[in-house]
Amino acid sequence: MKLCKPWEHNLSRRQWLGSVAAGLGGLSFGNLLQPAVADQLKKKNKQVLFIWLDGGISQLESWDPKPGTQFGGPLRAIPTSVPGIHISEVLPKTARQMHHLALVRSLCTKDNSHSAGVARIQRGDPKNRGVTYPFFGSAVAKLLGPGDSGLPPYIWIKPGSGGFKHQDAGFLGPKYGCLAFGDGKPPENLVLPNSISEEDNQARLLLRKKLDQRYAARRPKRSVEATGFVFDMAEQLRKRLDLFDLNKLPEKDRERYGNHDFGRHMLLARRFLEAGVTFVKVNSYGWDTHGDNFNAHMNMVPKFDQAFAAMIEDLVARGMLDNVLVICMSEFGRTPRINGHVGRDHWPEAWSLVMAGCGAKRGVVVGKTNDKGTFVTTEEYDIGHMFHTWFTLLGIDPNKTEYDNDGQPLPIAHPDCHVVKELIA
Amino acid sequence: MNADAKTLAKQFQPKQTKVLKPDRQLVTIRFSPCGKYLAGGGFDSIIRRWDVAATEPVELPPLKGHGGWVQAIVFHPDKRRLFSVDSWGQLFAWPYADKNPQRLWSVDKAHDGWIRDVAISADGKWLATCGFDQMVRIWSTDNGKKLGELAGHGCDVFSVAFHPSGQSVVSGDLKGVVKQWDLKTNKVVKEFDARIMYKLSRLQDVGGVRRLAFDPLGATLGCAGTQPTVGANVQGTPTILLFDWQTGKVKHKMTIGGNGDGFVFDFHFHPAGFVMAVTSGNPGTGKFFFQKPGDAKPFFLATNLPNCHALAVHPDGKHLAVSATNPGSNGNGRQLKNNQYVGNFSPVHLFEMAGA
Amino acid sequence: MIRPAVRFGMALFVVGFLWSSTRAAPPLSERIDALVMAKANGRAASPLADDAEFLRRAYLDLAGVIPSVQEARAFLDDTDPGKRAKMIDKLLSGPDYPRRMAEFFHVMLMERRGDHAQWQEYLHSSFAQNKPWDQMAREILCGFSDSKETRGAPFFYSKRLERYGQNPADYPGLTRDVGRMFLGIDLQCAQCHNHVHIKDYKQADYQGLFAFFTNVYLNDPKMPSIGERPFTKKVEFVSVFGFTKKQTGPRVPGMKEIEVPNYKQGEEYARKPDNKKKDPGRLKFSPLSKLAEQVPQSDAFARNAVNRLWFLMMGRGIVHPLDLHHSKNPPSHPELLDLLAKEFVAHKYDIKWLLGEIARSQTYQRSSMLPENQKVFQPESFLTAHEKLIGAEQLMWSVLQATGELERTRQFAAGIDSLRSLFVKAFANPPKEPEIEFNPSLKGALFILNNNAVQQLLVPRPGNLVDRLSKLPDDKVAEELYLSVLTRLPTADEKSEVEDYLAQKTDRVKALQQLAWALLASTEFCVNH
Repeated sequence: MKLCKPWEHNLSRRQWLGSVAAGLGGLSFGNLLQPAVADQLKKKNKQVLFIWLDGGISQLESWDPKPGTQFGGPLRAIPTSVPGIHISEVLPKTARQMHHLALVRSLCTKDNSHSAGVARIQRGDPKNRGVTYPFFGSAVAKLLGPGDSGLPPYIWIKPGSGGFKHQDAGFLGPKYGCLAFGDGKPPENLVLPNSISEEDNQARLLLRKKLDQRYAARRPKRSVEATGFVFDMAEQLRKRLDLFDLNKLPEKDRERYGNHDFGRHMLLARRFLEAGVTFVKVNSYGWDTHGDNFNAHMNMVPKFDQAFAAMIEDLVARGMLDNVLVICMSEFGRTPRINGHVGRDHWPEAWSLVMAGCGAKRGVVVGKTNDKGTFVTTEEYDIGHMFHTWFTLLGIDPNKTEYDNDGQPLPIAHPDCHVVKELIA
Repeated sequence: MNADAKTLAKQFQPKQTKVLKPDRQLVTIRFSPCGKYLAGGGFDSIIRRWDVAATEPVELPPLKGHGGWVQAIVFHPDKRRLFSVDSWGQLFAWPYADKNPQRLWSVDKAHDGWIRDVAISADGKWLATCGFDQMVRIWSTDNGKKLGELAGHGCDVFSVAFHPSGQSVVSGDLKGVVKQWDLKTNKVVKEFDARIMYKLSRLQDVGGVRRLAFDPLGATLGCAGTQPTVGANVQGTPTILLFDWQTGKVKHKMTIGGNGDGFVFDFHFHPAGFVMAVTSGNPGTGKFFFQKPGDAKPFFLATNLPNCHALAVHPDGKHLAVSATNPGSNGNGRQLKNNQYVGNFSPVHLFEMAGA
Repeated sequence: MIRPAVRFGMALFVVGFLWSSTRAAPPLSERIDALVMAKANGRAASPLADDAEFLRRAYLDLAGVIPSVQEARAFLDDTDPGKRAKMIDKLLSGPDYPRRMAEFFHVMLMERRGDHAQWQEYLHSSFAQNKPWDQMAREILCGFSDSKETRGAPFFYSKRLERYGQNPADYPGLTRDVGRMFLGIDLQCAQCHNHVHIKDYKQADYQGLFAFFTNVYLNDPKMPSIGERPFTKKVEFVSVFGFTKKQTGPRVPGMKEIEVPNYKQGEEYARKPDNKKKDPGRLKFSPLSKLAEQVPQSDAFARNAVNRLWFLMMGRGIVHPLDLHHSKNPPSHPELLDLLAKEFVAHKYDIKWLLGEIARSQTYQRSSMLPENQKVFQPESFLTAHEKLIGAEQLMWSVLQATGELERTRQFAAGIDSLRSLFVKAFANPPKEPEIEFNPSLKGALFILNNNAVQQLLVPRPGNLVDRLSKLPDDKVAEELYLSVLTRLPTADEKSEVEDYLAQKTDRVKALQQLAWALLASTEFCVNH
């Protein structure tokens, strides 16, 4: 049964459509109630790396192992660089980076279906106010702005297809959507045809722009602004085509991140972070291990481990971890119970995520599950708690900052949740 | 069904006699060569023993000391010893018939990580193990001394078997490559191509040769697994490839069910020439079947046992045991029974063949 | 001083007032204008579009392509005061009309799920003979076809009954789409409970509609054909908010539940299925046949149809979004919607007639430029023309027309097909997303910017745009260029801009290509304004 999504309960799609027009009015902090805060933030150049393991990595085969217990599975736990903290044996390289990381083992969220769950988590599961909230990436793009990278603020590296996903932005309006690079490749048609020189290109673009200005003189501005936005973005990207060419990097880097999609995509993500992109999301698919869960994790987690550890190492070495907030999570964890297909099903009741950087406390574990790993024994944290915490780490006070949706003030994080202080250094 | 198959069905049709109900899930079950015991390796690090010679099976004290899952067990033909491996890399030897058996010897780091399989040579001298560390190793059954190390798979090695001649051992890996090793030189003699049992799906290497077995004469090598189509919620058609041992060519390809039926987890050759096998796929699906190589369909097929993970054959050739899974083993989210979060278990179904 | 626009509105008001007291009602087009102006509340309406703006719009809406430069010139030169009405008639009876309608209805009904030659043939022949909409709806909804002519109709169902990757056929999605497309109601959220915000949408409505499809299956995607198994069990449902079990048989929202006759097992079929011939058979009682019979009888049916046809012409529904007809989302012009629905039924669901009436209205013929001194665009007022989305197909035909490559390309069906797939890839929405408003995309911009296929159309070939321009003196280029691409004459500024540009550049052909490209890439070209 496909359940409806909360944001589909909108009275009509009118508000959303209305704000599309509103959101295109220049890349500004226009619909934030506190523009001053935004200006301050802009200077700090905070960034986010958001790693999404789609389908749900098993907490028991990663961050919260329970070896030798009923639901613990076949794998062992190994010590880490922080005495007393153990993680699954399939994460040996990450274990050596533990002193930079913070684990949250007490997530308890509300949705056990993918279709609703992915968006629900990435939108911070806000209180239903009849509007579609932005994904975290769009929210950060809005709140922190594009920085000075000359690139769009919210970039997504993923297997499969790419394109500009305006849906992520919700009521913020399509320009805060996400630019996805399918298979980590630049979009099609990014290279100028041989017949057109750079000079010719600028000349024709100028002609185009002047036509649009004349056209818009007596018309609503939306169409021309929206067209200008995508043409500008095309130009921005074309100028940074070099970022996509991983062959220019040392062979050693490519080996360290791993010769697989995820490794390549993480290396590309590092390049975008170095280039100053505000929010970089990296997706890995295929974690919905309802069958053959353990072989899947023994096979996939080490590939994740390799790239993730290399990324942390590099961010530390470059001094970037102080300003880059790294988050790695899924839409939920997996059932302690092992089904007949030797798989684990969806489990939002007690699961884990890992984060690092940007002022997050280092080398800590927050929250605890019971001996069997079935339920949380400390305070349960919903995604709203994480949103409060992440915004706080990015220098945005979630209790004082609001969105302004055409006059409707909206909190940036669920008001019933709060910041997790143990995660803040 | 052809006449031959009808005769076979008449002669060997299994009939269920009893069900054992351990409270946890099992990876494997095997009968002892003396016929008195059935042993099962569990998700709970213990080896369960049942005395099945009695009118009503009696559960005996378990063998404890393993870690993780007890992945595979083999009995020594001397009818005294049992060898077991676990997912934490340990290899143990037990006097299995003792009331409270104490380990005869143990190798704590036989492999780095999950040991996938253990096999014993026909003469009882050697054990072969294989594992996640991509290695195949040969051990003395007498003292657990490592006698050989067969390296070269380059990926997770799932299954291992000795040829009845004792001259060579075969091992099958995640990517569908089966290697035949000469035990004198520890070199690869030949490779069998079972790569249809592997697929790279996104990040995941899916499939693998999950079980290897020879027919009693050693003329045919069987490789069991799935032909995977996708990872994560792994889907594939249960498959057994039967290779001609001499030529290395596929003689028969047996498939059962469809894409949701998953893996052939366990199988054996019957001296009468047919194959007995069990499968497990999507939760609730399981097949237990007998099929003659070359036939399009099994002459016996039971589909009422969910998720069968092991099939044990009694030394009398007339009794069988299938370890399956309780129904309703899956589901998302918090599902409590009497306020308790309960796990699954593996009912063990005992069968008697028609001609017995 | 009263501005012209306002005076114009008041004049209409008087017309509206007058006809109610006379016997013969004025044509629908005039009644449309009266009802729209009645709601203007003193706001100024935009003036009528000039001939060029009108011509481009009417061509795009009714022929799916911009006019050729010759047609544009002839129309602008024509001094006949009745030329707009004549042009509308010409377009409605022209060869491009059925193609344009097939393209529009295909995108609307299938939402880019895929295509099928038989389905295209069905749509094309239906619009070519101006088949009444109720008949088309019955042919599509009954799910089966016994004539060559309607063979493609079941594609609406068959495509939706295909498995999507590992997912099973999406029956709730099919239920939802039938409600959306044919009745204008999106029942998705009423699947599991009465709709939280929309009181009119009940779970029982969803489930009743769902019951029509519970026994439907994909028989042969190639035909396309679907089958129905005997209806044996009512749909049981429980609200996720409550515990009372309810059940329902097939029921069209707002109508009575259909009694399902009981046939003995084995006697349900009038014609038994024949697997060898891939014949799904015919049931004695077919819920889909009942659905096809009853949906057009629902009040919602005609209202949804006219709202969607209004959207086709005007760029926005009188009820908007198009699939949310309910009391909390009222029509912007309730009397107008009632009138259109009533007249549509009275004219036997004649699509061409209705489009013609709308096209002749002043409301349709207004400029997309805001009235002077007005900054705010009020979309639901219909006092200013919307900037409508140009679909991928319209854009392809128009780019070919503008570059003078239409006839050449048309000679090769394969050429059109491969070009169409490029345009669809660059400009269509992803599957299952309705195409409602102009939303320029990065991939579309990149396509226009750098794709070789676009550059190729600008290579001079005998008679094409760049070739023609290259043979004109600098001071004649702008007129030919603007009329060919933007269907209008250039302003004086634009004319001197073109001349200056040509004067600066040494490579004249290249300069002409850049000028032409800039027009093709402009917002003015990419929207239907």
